[in-house]
Amino acid sequence: MITEESLQLKPQRQGVNQVLPSALAVRTRGLVKRYKDGTVANRGIDLEVRRGELISILGPNGAGKTTFLRQVTTELRPSSGSVEIFGVDAIAAPRRAKQMMGITPQEAGLFESLTVEEHFQLFARLKNLSGAEARAAAAEVIESLGLSAEARKRISTLSGGQRRRILIGLALLGHPPLLVLDEPTTGLDPSSRRGVWGVIRRTVTDGAAVILSTHYIEEAERLSDRIGIIAQGRLIAFGTLDELLGRLERSYRLSYLDQLDPFGNICVCYFASFTEARAHAGREQLSEYSIARASLEDVYFTLTGERFAKGETEA
Amino acid sequence: MKRLTDIICVFRIQLMSMRKEAGPFFLAALLFPAAMYLFARAVSGAEAASEQNRLRFLAGSIVFSLSLTSISWLGYLLLENRFTGRLKLFATLPLAPSSYIMGILVFAFAQAILGTTALILIGRAFGVHMQPNILMLGLVVMLTVLCLCGFGAIIAARARSFTEGSILTDALGVGLVFVAPVYYTTDSMPHGLQAISQLLPTAFAARAVETTLTGGYQVREPLLALGLMAIATLTLGFRLTKWRED
Repeated sequence: MITEESLQLKPQRQGVNQVLPSALAVRTRGLVKRYKDGTVANRGIDLEVRRGELISILGPNGAGKTTFLRQVTTELRPSSGSVEIFGVDAIAAPRRAKQMMGITPQEAGLFESLTVEEHFQLFARLKNLSGAEARAAAAEVIESLGLSAEARKRISTLSGGQRRRILIGLALLGHPPLLVLDEPTTGLDPSSRRGVWGVIRRTVTDGAAVILSTHYIEEAERLSDRIGIIAQGRLIAFGTLDELLGRLERSYRLSYLDQLDPFGNICVCYFASFTEARAHAGREQLSEYSIARASLEDVYFTLTGERFAKGETEA
Repeated sequence: MKRLTDIICVFRIQLMSMRKEAGPFFLAALLFPAAMYLFARAVSGAEAASEQNRLRFLAGSIVFSLSLTSISWLGYLLLENRFTGRLKLFATLPLAPSSYIMGILVFAFAQAILGTTALILIGRAFGVHMQPNILMLGLVVMLTVLCLCGFGAIIAARARSFTEGSILTDALGVGLVFVAPVYYTTDSMPHGLQAISQLLPTAFAARAVETTLTGGYQVREPLLALGLMAIATLTLGFRLTKWRED
């Protein structure tokens, strides 16, 4: 039987360069979460994340994204299925699995009276870094996340966006080979968001695997190597941006202002070719319209069945 | 070694996060029991002249202080961590739940040592004659804190809300002192309560503290009882405190 002790916890200080049991960062098979009240949050999710790869998970509210990430981070025990982190059974040996992870939960509280620097140093120690390593790791994260001016400030004096950056920084401490980030940039201003994107992308370049959930389609489009879409507890699509775009039969998007709509909503129609889209605009005698190749947003709305604008149709 | 580092780090986090509230916390753990000592002396009238009674009141106040520290304040910290999402932050780390609780326990020990020392000094100032057996008193205090902290941990792990948890820890922290023969003798309690009240951890603690304050060391029975209760409550507290939700 595998126990935490028998697996001999490896210090996180070895970071992304540590010798890991498997090249596959995350491997889930048939992941199901059924709550006691009968609610089924996940219905058999199979996913593989490789080292040096960034995976984004998109999906509507309540689709099961956070449930999935919480199962990966060992916070939530799956009803059935398996989770392996670099080949380690995360259900049987959660602490061993967490040695290889940096985690940013969707919501977590910081200690109001502690300074930013103290947070990073103490949490780095809890990640098994030595005193000197912890100080160096804290300084590095503070610098990379643009928190130098706030380093000596207490958490109680910081804004929501700054607190969010600290939560991301805590995950980055010690260069873990896997980052699991649940909506990391929610609440950040555009400039901070781009800064965080840069930091995340750099960790991937350095060889780490990243799995993040987001509501920002632009974020998924810009950052990801592969994108997964979860709806009603199922992974309904998974692949590169091009592979996902290829799933659309009608990949041209015609947008125009609905003249009859008192609220001035934009109408969106999809066509198999540019010619078809232009012909439709001509038939409808549209004076102002645009035709573009479908984007990830179009794939998302088509696959999840969500409609964001009144009058959106498929031609 | 990793476990020890984890415990020290959790202790340091709690200590540093309490910087602003350290004064009120310490005062509260000292003020109520010290006031209770004076109150008990005042209402006992002529009996207060008896050295034995003064010693019982002081021992009672020390137990009251330990109960407040271990159940009410420690419970409050655990509840605060749980319901403000800080526990979630600890859960992201390769940290054992027991290391987390032990870190908080060290914090409770530090408070208990301060509170007990201060109350002994207050007792001396009010003319209570004693020759504390420091080693045995330390052991009694440690086992009492461990046992009572277990209650705090159980409540903090099971409470459905911060308010519910706070009410329960406050009620238990005070209640365990006043339904046990701590400030008064068993004979003066209602008949129905007499047998049960003697089995409460605070009753064993009060008896042991009183004995060790006079330099005695005949505390094997209460120490054994407190030790067993500590194992039971802490084991349950550790088991209920989980990083992983089912």
